[in-house]
Amino acid sequence: MGKYVLKRFLTFIPMTLLMSFLIYGGLELVPGDILNTMFPPDILAQMSPAELDVIRASYGLDQPFIVRYFRWLFRVFQGDWGKSMASGVPVKDVIAQRLPITLELALTGLVISAILGSVLGILAALHKGEVIDMILTAIGVVGQAIPQFFFGMVAILIFALKLKWLPIGGRTTPQMTHWYEHLRYLILPAMVLGLTQTSSVMRYARSSMLESMNRDFVKTARSKGIPEWKVNLVHGFRVTMTPVIILIAFRLPALISTSMVIENVFSWPGIGMTFKDAVTAQNYPMVMMIALIIVVMVMLMSLLMDIFTRIIDPRVRLQ
Amino acid sequence: MAGESVISVRHLKTYFYTEKRCNKAVNDVSFEIRKGKCLCVVGESGCGKSVTASSIMQLLPRLSRIEEGEIIYHTHDKGDVVLSDLGKNSKEMRAYRGKNIAMIFQDPMTALNPVFKVGNQIAENIRQHDKCSKAEARKRTLELLKQMGIPEPERRIDQYPHEYSGGMRQRAMIALAMSCSPDVLLADEPTTALDVTIQAQIFELMTKLKEENDTAILLITHDMGVVCEMADDVLVMYMGNVVESGTAREVLKNPKHPYTRALLASILVLGKGKDQNIQPIRGMTPNPYNRPPGCQFEPRCDFACEACRERMPDEEVIEGTTHMIRCCNWREACKNDGE
Amino acid sequence: MKQLTRAEKHLYRKFDKIREREESGANAKRKKSSRAVAKFFSNRLAIVGLVIFSVIFLACVFAPLITKYQAETVDLRNILKAPSGIHWFGTDKVGRDVFSRVLYGGRYSILIASLGALGGAVIGVLLGSYAGYKGGWFDKVFMRIGEALTSFPTMILNLLFVTIMGRSMRNLIIIFTITGWVGIFRLARATMLSIREEEYVQALHAFGLNDAIICFKHMLPNALAPIIVNITINMASMILEEAALSFLGLGVPMQIPTWGNILNASQDMYTLEKAWWMWAPVGTTITLFVMSINFIGDGIRDMTDTSVQG
Repeated sequence: MGKYVLKRFLTFIPMTLLMSFLIYGGLELVPGDILNTMFPPDILAQMSPAELDVIRASYGLDQPFIVRYFRWLFRVFQGDWGKSMASGVPVKDVIAQRLPITLELALTGLVISAILGSVLGILAALHKGEVIDMILTAIGVVGQAIPQFFFGMVAILIFALKLKWLPIGGRTTPQMTHWYEHLRYLILPAMVLGLTQTSSVMRYARSSMLESMNRDFVKTARSKGIPEWKVNLVHGFRVTMTPVIILIAFRLPALISTSMVIENVFSWPGIGMTFKDAVTAQNYPMVMMIALIIVVMVMLMSLLMDIFTRIIDPRVRLQ
Repeated sequence: MAGESVISVRHLKTYFYTEKRCNKAVNDVSFEIRKGKCLCVVGESGCGKSVTASSIMQLLPRLSRIEEGEIIYHTHDKGDVVLSDLGKNSKEMRAYRGKNIAMIFQDPMTALNPVFKVGNQIAENIRQHDKCSKAEARKRTLELLKQMGIPEPERRIDQYPHEYSGGMRQRAMIALAMSCSPDVLLADEPTTALDVTIQAQIFELMTKLKEENDTAILLITHDMGVVCEMADDVLVMYMGNVVESGTAREVLKNPKHPYTRALLASILVLGKGKDQNIQPIRGMTPNPYNRPPGCQFEPRCDFACEACRERMPDEEVIEGTTHMIRCCNWREACKNDGE
Repeated sequence: MKQLTRAEKHLYRKFDKIREREESGANAKRKKSSRAVAKFFSNRLAIVGLVIFSVIFLACVFAPLITKYQAETVDLRNILKAPSGIHWFGTDKVGRDVFSRVLYGGRYSILIASLGALGGAVIGVLLGSYAGYKGGWFDKVFMRIGEALTSFPTMILNLLFVTIMGRSMRNLIIIFTITGWVGIFRLARATMLSIREEEYVQALHAFGLNDAIICFKHMLPNALAPIIVNITINMASMILEEAALSFLGLGVPMQIPTWGNILNASQDMYTLEKAWWMWAPVGTTITLFVMSINFIGDGIRDMTDTSVQG
C-alpha cells in the first residue's frame, strides 16, 4: 500500500510540472507585447526603446523562455503568485478568498448529485422496464442534453422571479446574521449544479447496478433465502458502489466546469466568476494561477480517489 | 430412510423470453431426487440442465418463468409442499432456500461476493435461517470450514474470496450450502472451473456428505466420467427434454436412446489405449429459436423416421424397471446389442 | 394458484403474448435483412433522434426558404413583441425576429461543433493509429499530452485557449479540435495495438506492404463504429460548450448570432422574467438538438454492439 502511494505520487509530480509548463508556455504564445497589458498605452508611447528594454530587463523578460519558466515556477513554489493586473491585489489572496466559496457550492452540488444519482439509478435498475424506469431514463436523457445555464435560467424564473421563494443570485447580503439565511442563497445554485450532474451519475449507477445484479454472487445471495431488498442493497449495491464512486471522482473536472458556468448565472462570487472576469480582462497572472490551482486540485483528487478505491475494494488491495 | 423421494419434479416447463422470442429451455421434464442418492443430469451445454436446477430453487432470471408442471418438496414435518406454487421471492420460498435446499454453482470465482469476507458470507446463511448470535454463527462457520477441509480455518474465515484458491473457494461454497444441513444439494457443474486433481477432492467431499448426512444430491455435469463415478440415478437431457433416465446401472450399462448411445460412443475411455474408435455426433445442436417440430434429436439421429419428425415421442418405461426412454425407435437402435 | 407481485403480473402478460405468437409459428419465418441496419431502425429512440436532428438541421440549412426575416435586420418599431403569427418566436430588444435568429444561429453553432468534432476525429485517428502502430516515444508523448488535456476541466481549458488565441469563430473551431482529439486518439490507438499483433497484419508486413496502408486499411474498419459514436458525443458536447462559452461572452464575437450568443443577450432579469421568448426557444432547441445527437449515437452503438441481441 505504502509503495503504491509512493509510486502514484511519483507520477503526480511530473504531471504537475507538465501542466504548469503547458499553462505557462501557452500563455507565452499570446500575440503582442506583454508590456502593452502592463502599462497604459500613452505611457508606453512616451518611452524610448532603450527605456523599454530596461523595463523588460527589470521584469526578466529579456531572458530566454525556459529561464523565465523556471523562475516563475520557483516563485510559485515560494508562494509568490504574482499580482492581479486589474487590481494589484496578490493573486494568492484572491484565490484564498474565492476558492472556498466555490468549494462550498461545488461540494454541495457533488453531494446532491452523488446521493440523488445513485439512489435514482438503483431505483431505475430495480424497476427495469417499468414505468418508473422509463420516467427516470427520460429525465436523465433531458438532463444530459440541457445547457446548464439554461437550466439555471429556468430555475431562477420559476423559484426566484415567479414563486419568490429564493433569492435570484449572490451569496450574502450585508445584513445577514444567521447561517441559515446564507443557506437560502446556496440552495438554488447548488440544486441546479447538483441536478445537472445527477443524470450522468444516475445513468451510470443504473447500468452498474444492472450489471452487478446479473453477477453470479447475487444468485448465491438469493440462494441463501435472504430477502430481496437485502440481496439488492447489501450484495448488489455494495459492489455497484465502487465504480459509481470512481465515476463521481472522474467527473470532478465536469463538476468544476459546470460550477464555473453556474456561478456566472447566479452571480456566485467564487473562483469561476473570478476566472471568467480574468479571461475577459486578459489578466494573465490570475488566469495562469487559477488554471494551475484547479488542475493540481483535480489531479490531487484523482490521486486520493485511486488510493481510496484501493481501500474500499479488497480485490485491488493486493494487486 | 435412504432412497425415498425428497423432491419430485413433474412435467416441468420453464421458458425464457427475449424482446420477441420465447425459448422453451425446459420442456416437459420429470424426475425424482432421492434421499442419500446422487442424481446426475447430463447433457450438452444449453440443454436446460442448469435451468432445471434453478427452477427448483426458483432462482430464474427475470425474463423467464415456470410455465407448467409441479415441483414438490416432500418435507418430513409439513407434508408435501408444491414449491412451484410459491411466489418467486415469497417468505415461504425463501425459508426453504438455503435451509432445506441449497445450491452450489459452476464458477466459485464469481459465485462468492468479492467484497465480503468468506466467513461472513457463510454466517449470513446461518443467521438467516437459525436465529442465533453472531458469535454462535461464527463458531459454526469455523466448524464447517474445518469439516470441508480448509486448512487454518481461523485465518481463512476472515479472508476475502480472492485470497482463496479455486478449489478452496468451491469448498467454501459447499460449506455455505451445507451450513444449515439441507435435505437437498443442487450442484451445478461444481468442478467445471477447477483442475482435475481438485475435482476429485470435491467429489470425494460431496460423496462423504451424501453418505454421512443422507443428503440428496442433484449433480449437473456434461462429463460422462463424472457420471460413472458419482451417479446413483441418471437423467440424460437434450434440448430441454429428458431423453432417457433410470438408475446409473440401467442407463450406463444398457443405454437405449440413440442420443445417449452416441454420447457414450463419443468419449474416450482412459486405459483403453490410443486406438479407440471415437464417433463424434454428427451435425450441431439446433438453434433454440428454430427447433425441429418433433423429436429434438431427429435431425442428427441415425434412426429417425417420419413419426419422429412430426411429434415428440412419448415417455416409455421398460417394464419392471425405472428405465425410461423417449424414442420410438430405440428397439431398432439396440438391435445389435448383447451379441 | 401462484401468488404474483404486480410487476410479475405485468411481465407475465407480455410473456403470454410472446408465447402465443411463438406457438402459432409466426416467429419462425422472419425475413433476414441487414441485421445492423434493422437494429438501428428498430431502435425507436434512434429514429426519433434522427427525425429531430434532420428537422432542426434542414431548417437551419434552408433558413432563407423558411423565414423571410434576416437574423440581423433591426426593426425598432417592433421591439420585444411576444410570439405571434408574424413573428413565430417574437422579437428581441432591437426588433430582430427570434425565430430567424434561432435558425441562422443554428447554422453557426452546428458548423462550429461539427467542424470541431470532425477536426478532432481526423487528428485523433491519424495520431492514434500511428502511435498505436509505432509505439515508442511518439506514443508516450501523446499519451501524456492526452492525459494532461483530460485533467483540465473543459471550461478552464477552453477559456485558457480563448485567452491565448482570442475570440473568433475560426479560433473556436481550432480550440474544439485541439480539445476534442483525445478520446478518438485513445480509441484508435487501442484498436491499433490490438490488431498490430494479429497474424494477418504480420503477414502483410512480410509481404512488404507500406506501414501507412496497413495502418489505415486494417485499423479503420475495425474502429469505425466506436469512432462515429465518439464523434457524435463530441459534437453534442461542443454544441453545449459553444453555447456556454458564448453565454459567458467569451465564445464567438457577439455580432455572429450563434445559439450561445442569443442566450447571452437575454441574461438580464427583465428579459428573463418578461420576455421568455427571447431565450426559452433557443434553450429548448439546443436541448432537443443535443438530445437527438445523443439518441443517434446510442443507436449506432447498440447497432454495432454484438453483446445486445434484440
